[in-house]
Amino acid sequence: MTAQTIILVEDDPGLRTLIARMLQENGFSVRTAATAPEMWIALENGPPASLVILDIMLPGTNGLDLCRQIRRTSDIPIIFISAKGSDEDRILGLELGADDFLAKPFQPRELVARARAILRRGPMTDNHQARGRNEFRFDGWTVYFSRRELRSPSGAVVDLTGAEFDLLSTFIAQPMRVIGRERLIELSRTRLSDSSDRSIDVLVSRLRRKLSAAGGEPPIVTVRGVGYMFSAQVEPA
Amino acid sequence: MTRWPSIGLLGRIVLILAFVLATEFVANTLIFDRVSKFALQDDEAHRLAEYLVVAHRIMDRTPAPARPEVAEELSTARLAVRWHKGIDTQSTSFALSGLRDQMLGVEPALFEAKLRLHLMPLRQGGDIAGSVELSDHSTMAFQTRQQKSFWPLTLGRIVALALPMLALALIGFMMIRATLRPLRNLMGATRRVGRQEPEPLPERGPQEVRGLIRDFNAMEARIHRLISTRTQALAAVGHDLRTPLARLKFRLDAAALDEETRAAMSDDVREMGDLLRSLQIYLGGEGQGLPAEKIDLAVMAATVIDSARDEGHDAYYDGPSSLEAFARPVSIRRAIANLVENAIHYGGNVRLAIREEADAILILIDDDGPGIPAERMESALQPFVRLDEGRSRNTRGMGLGLAIVQDAIRAEGGTLSLANRPEGGLRATIRLPRGPR
Repeated sequence: MTAQTIILVEDDPGLRTLIARMLQENGFSVRTAATAPEMWIALENGPPASLVILDIMLPGTNGLDLCRQIRRTSDIPIIFISAKGSDEDRILGLELGADDFLAKPFQPRELVARARAILRRGPMTDNHQARGRNEFRFDGWTVYFSRRELRSPSGAVVDLTGAEFDLLSTFIAQPMRVIGRERLIELSRTRLSDSSDRSIDVLVSRLRRKLSAAGGEPPIVTVRGVGYMFSAQVEPA
Repeated sequence: MTRWPSIGLLGRIVLILAFVLATEFVANTLIFDRVSKFALQDDEAHRLAEYLVVAHRIMDRTPAPARPEVAEELSTARLAVRWHKGIDTQSTSFALSGLRDQMLGVEPALFEAKLRLHLMPLRQGGDIAGSVELSDHSTMAFQTRQQKSFWPLTLGRIVALALPMLALALIGFMMIRATLRPLRNLMGATRRVGRQEPEPLPERGPQEVRGLIRDFNAMEARIHRLISTRTQALAAVGHDLRTPLARLKFRLDAAALDEETRAAMSDDVREMGDLLRSLQIYLGGEGQGLPAEKIDLAVMAATVIDSARDEGHDAYYDGPSSLEAFARPVSIRRAIANLVENAIHYGGNVRLAIREEADAILILIDDDGPGIPAERMESALQPFVRLDEGRSRNTRGMGLGLAIVQDAIRAEGGTLSLANRPEGGLRATIRLPRGPR
């Protein structure tokens, strides 16, 4: 398997070098850019990139605007890194179609883990149709992937932890299919510190509790000895 | 000494106005009354004199047997006339000599008729009585009857006089209020200083007030400039330190250090990051710019508690499984998370309960820690105040946690209160008003 290429857009020279080196050590091929024009050059030359890491504060331009421009022509995954770290920026960034958001200073390993998670999410994010549709519905519930948000049938925001949301995303991507416990554990490894069988069961029971809070029956069925199945019809909203 | 509640500037000025008007009214009335009384006496004397002359003539020409009857007919509502034989022996009262002179001045004929006047005793009404002698030396006696309508008349007069005064007082009240309005506006503006963008007050009203408003506007602009420069400076520090901190983290990861040193330095960097983050949240009012929306408060609180449990803390949630409310999700989530973190940090454990009241939702966050000494309770909510100052060095943040919580809850129209529980430990109570459904 050839190394996946990441475009890193960061105006601070020191941090740019450090991040690039760390990504390379982790098996990625990296092309760097300090400004918006450099980013466009990096995007168009060389082997096709599979991920962009974008600083929000850039000289003369704004990472959010760049993200908007990239999205006009491309579905390439984008991770924002920001020194502001305010939730307004985070929400705006995710609304614009970014895939993740990290506030400086972040742990180097955290960036690698997020990059891997996004690249591994593979089938769902590579699918143009699915990517374009950011909202899904089941049993009256709505899931907004851009904002990583779940809303109840009455329209209230229902909080999920990161791991719970990832679990729900996995279920929604494969409705009416039995998903093995092993597979779920593997998928959630990036989030959970203790990815044992038990913690997956805890996660599933919490998700069930939240999905039944509105009074309905939670659409997650236990398939004894195998895993779980999402039993609701999922439709793009 | 009792302190009466102040009636305010407007009240004072109105009182002064009322006092002046009332004094003037009383003085006017007294003088007017005196003058009119004299005028009344004068009139009365004239009328009485003329009447008596005529009555005297009629009685004189009437034969004696018919006189009592005629006397009766001559009587009016205000004057009773009687006739009797013999001469009136009562002398004129000294008090009425003036009136007598007046009457004689009008009708000299009454002098020949030997007019006598005397005052009736007060218990008989205090009226004026008197007599004149007829040519056959019999006597025609008379007695004035005081009009009962005297008081209502005066009352009417007082009301007539008071009405314009009341109208004047009302107009005065409105004019004074209008004059004082710029001051009232100034009061409102004073309350807003530092809370929002300065909005210069229009310079209106009397000269002194205009000057005051001008100075106030300048002062507000100055204060705002001071605050915003400081806020910007602090925010810039917070922002600009993040990139070097990020570099430090990367370098630390790559540095050839023993694991223990690396972990310790890593913690230091994380602490610095936490400090910056809380500073930025406090200065930026994070999430308060986002609109309020419908949220499931119970799920939100339970999720915060679940996350704390996942980190291995002693955390319990007790409340409904679902409770919808209207609030700004980011800031209210942070408020709950901060209080839960505080409970774990200071108390070692946390129990979060949600209780519903008719008009409010209560979020109770309890711990079994030492609580807060009573004398520090007040300062606990102040920004940059840390309760374990000097005692332990593992405090995260800059003492902004509770200040951030308070700001977030205030933005929802709610309140935050802290209290030591009688059984030990601290209870933080968030009270949120029930919003529109």
